[in-house]
Amino acid sequence: MNGITQSTALWYASRATGVVSLLLLTGVVLLGVLVNRQGRLPGLPRFVVTGLHRNLSLLGVVFVAIHVITAVLDPYVTIQITAIVVPFTSSYKPLWLGLGAISLDLVLALILTSLARARISRRFWRSLHWLSYAAWVSALVHSLFSSTDLQGGLLLYLTIACTLAVLAAVIWRVTHARREIPRAGRAAATLDMMSPRDDPRAPASPRDRAGRRAPENVR
Amino acid sequence: MTYGTTVPYPAPHPGPQDSHPAGTAPARTGSEAAGDLPRLLPVHGAVPVDLRSHLSRYGAPPYFGAPGKLIPVLKAAGLTGRGGAAFPVHRKLEAVAEARTRPIVIGNGAEGEPASDKDKSLLWISPHLILDGLQLAAEAVGSQAVALYVHRNARLQERLRAAIAERAAAGVDVAAVEIFDAPPRFLAGEESALASRISGDPAMPRFKPPRVFERGVVGRPTLVHNVETLAHIALIARYGPAWFRAVGTPGEPGSMLCTLHQADGRRDVVETGLGTPLRDLLRLDGTQAVLSGGYHGAWVPTADAARMTLSNADLRAAGAFVGAGVLVALPARCCGIAETARVARYLALESAGQCGPCFNGLPRIAAALDEVASPRPDPRAVTDIIRWAGLVEGRGACHHPDGTTRFVRSALHVFRDEIRNHSAGRCVDPARQPFLPLPADAALDASDWS
Repeated sequence: MNGITQSTALWYASRATGVVSLLLLTGVVLLGVLVNRQGRLPGLPRFVVTGLHRNLSLLGVVFVAIHVITAVLDPYVTIQITAIVVPFTSSYKPLWLGLGAISLDLVLALILTSLARARISRRFWRSLHWLSYAAWVSALVHSLFSSTDLQGGLLLYLTIACTLAVLAAVIWRVTHARREIPRAGRAAATLDMMSPRDDPRAPASPRDRAGRRAPENVR
Repeated sequence: MTYGTTVPYPAPHPGPQDSHPAGTAPARTGSEAAGDLPRLLPVHGAVPVDLRSHLSRYGAPPYFGAPGKLIPVLKAAGLTGRGGAAFPVHRKLEAVAEARTRPIVIGNGAEGEPASDKDKSLLWISPHLILDGLQLAAEAVGSQAVALYVHRNARLQERLRAAIAERAAAGVDVAAVEIFDAPPRFLAGEESALASRISGDPAMPRFKPPRVFERGVVGRPTLVHNVETLAHIALIARYGPAWFRAVGTPGEPGSMLCTLHQADGRRDVVETGLGTPLRDLLRLDGTQAVLSGGYHGAWVPTADAARMTLSNADLRAAGAFVGAGVLVALPARCCGIAETARVARYLALESAGQCGPCFNGLPRIAAALDEVASPRPDPRAVTDIIRWAGLVEGRGACHHPDGTTRFVRSALHVFRDEIRNHSAGRCVDPARQPFLPLPADAALDASDWS
C-alpha cells in the first residue's frame, strides 16, 4: 500500500474521518438507547449517559464535516459540493454517496431540533428523533460501499461489531421495560437512597442519624 | 378548613386614582363604595353567602351581550392573576379569545400550596362571585365549556354543586359548570397539570410549548384562572376599573386575599389592598424572618420586612414576591434551617418524577439541607446545595425546581447566622419543633396523582 503523499492526503483524511464518524455515530445510537431505558454506564454518574450522548453527537458532526469537505476537495474524484446535502447528485458513485448525504441531512435535523428543544413541542422533537435509526443505517450502508475499506480486514470486523452492537441495543430496547419505578415514587426512591428510613413519611429528627450527637447546647 | 375573619382596613394606600375611559363600564355606587374592604368576603363574619344574599349585595352578573367586551375593562383595571404568577388577566383572555377552536374555561381552586387557605375559604364562603367570574370570562372568550377544579372535599363539592344548580334554576348562568377533582398534590394546580388532569390523565405538568391557552384540555385552547381572580373579574365587570383601582397602588392595583401565619400559630385569611405595609398584616415582634410567596417564595429578614409593603415593587428587591399572598412570620425561637429542610423534603417528594434534574436533584438538596440543619454539619453540604441548585434550575417541564431553589437559596442567605451556629455545634431549637404547615401524606405512587 502506498503511503500518504501530498496528492493522496485528502483522500486518506476523508476515509479516516469517515471511519471515525461511523464509530462515533454508532456510539451515539447506543448511548441514545441507554438514555431511553434510563440505564447507566457502570461506575459513572447518571448525567454522563445523556451528556456523553450529546457531546459525542456534536463531535461526530465535526468529524463528518471534515470527512465531506476533504472528499469534495480531493481532486482524484469529482464530488460536487451540493452533493453533500442533496442525495444522489454526485458524479462519483451517486448511489452510495447519496446515502451518505441522506445520513448527514438526518443528523443535521436531529442536532438542530435538539439544540432548539426549548422552543419546539416535545412531541415533535421526539418523533423526529426516531429518524436517528434511519440515519445510522444509511451511514452504515454508505460506509460499506463508498469504498472498499470496510469490506476486508480489521475494518470489516469493526463494522460487523458496530452492526451487532446496534442490533443488540435495539432488541434490548424493544424487549426490556424501563426500570419501573412509577414516576410519583421516583423522588421518594432517591430520597431513600440518601438517608434510609423505614418510613419515608416520618419527619426528620436528629436522633435518626446513626452516630450523630445531639447539639451541644442540649444536655 | 380555617377561613378566618376579615380585618377592616383604614384609608387605602395613598396614590393618584387612575381614570378609566368613559363608557367602558357602568359606575355603580351604593353598597360597594370605592375604597372599602372587604370586597370578596362578607362584611360581617365568615358566613357562607347564598345566592339570595349574593344577588342582593352585588346584583346579577352584568353580561356584556357579546364576546370580548369585558377585556378592555379588565385591561383598564390592571387586574393581574391572583394564583401566584400575577400575569395580566386581559392578555390571557385576549390570547384565548383569538383561538380558532372553541375554548374551555377552567376556574383553578386546587390550591396545592399547603400554607395557603384563601382559595378554599373563598370557595366555601363566596362561591357565587367565583361562579359569576367564570360565566363572564366564558362569555368574553366565546366559550360554552366551563369547569371548576377543586379539592376532593365532599362537603365543598356538594355545596358547589348545589350553588350551580340553584343558579341554573334561577337563570343566572349561561353555561353549565362541571366540577373536576384535584388530587392533593403541590403541583396539582399548575396549569398544564390541571389541563392533564381534566383531560383524564394524572395531574402532572406537561412540557411547554405548547402552553395551555393554545393547546390545553383535550387539545383545545384553555383559559385557566385562579378562583380569586375570577371573583375580582366578577366585581370589576359590575363596578368598573376606577372602583377596582381605589384600593392598592397605581402599579399594583386592587385588593387580594392573603393567608397570614402569625408567630403565635394563628392562621387567618384576610383581604387587603396591595401596598399595605407588612407590619400591618403580621405581628413582627419576636420574629426573625418573614416568608413571602409560599414554599416557592423567599425568606426576608424581619428588619427588612418591617420596612416593606405587600407589593412586588418592594418584595422583588429582596428576592421575594407577593405570589398568592402567603405570609408567614417565623418566630425567633425556631431554627430557620430546620424548617426549610422540612419543607424542602416535602417539595422533593412532591416532584412529579418526570424530569431527571428535579427528581434526582431536589431529594439531594433536601438531604443536604437536613445535614446543614444537624449539629456540626459536613462543611461541603452548603456548597453542594448551591451547586445542585444551579444544575436543576430551568431544567424541568415546570417551575418546581426553580421555585424550590429560590426558597432554599433565600434560606441559606437569611439564616446564615444559624448555619454558623450549627457549625459550632449549637442550635436555637435543638428539638426542631415544627412550625411551617405541611400535609401528612406524601405521594408514593401514580394513583396519588389521579
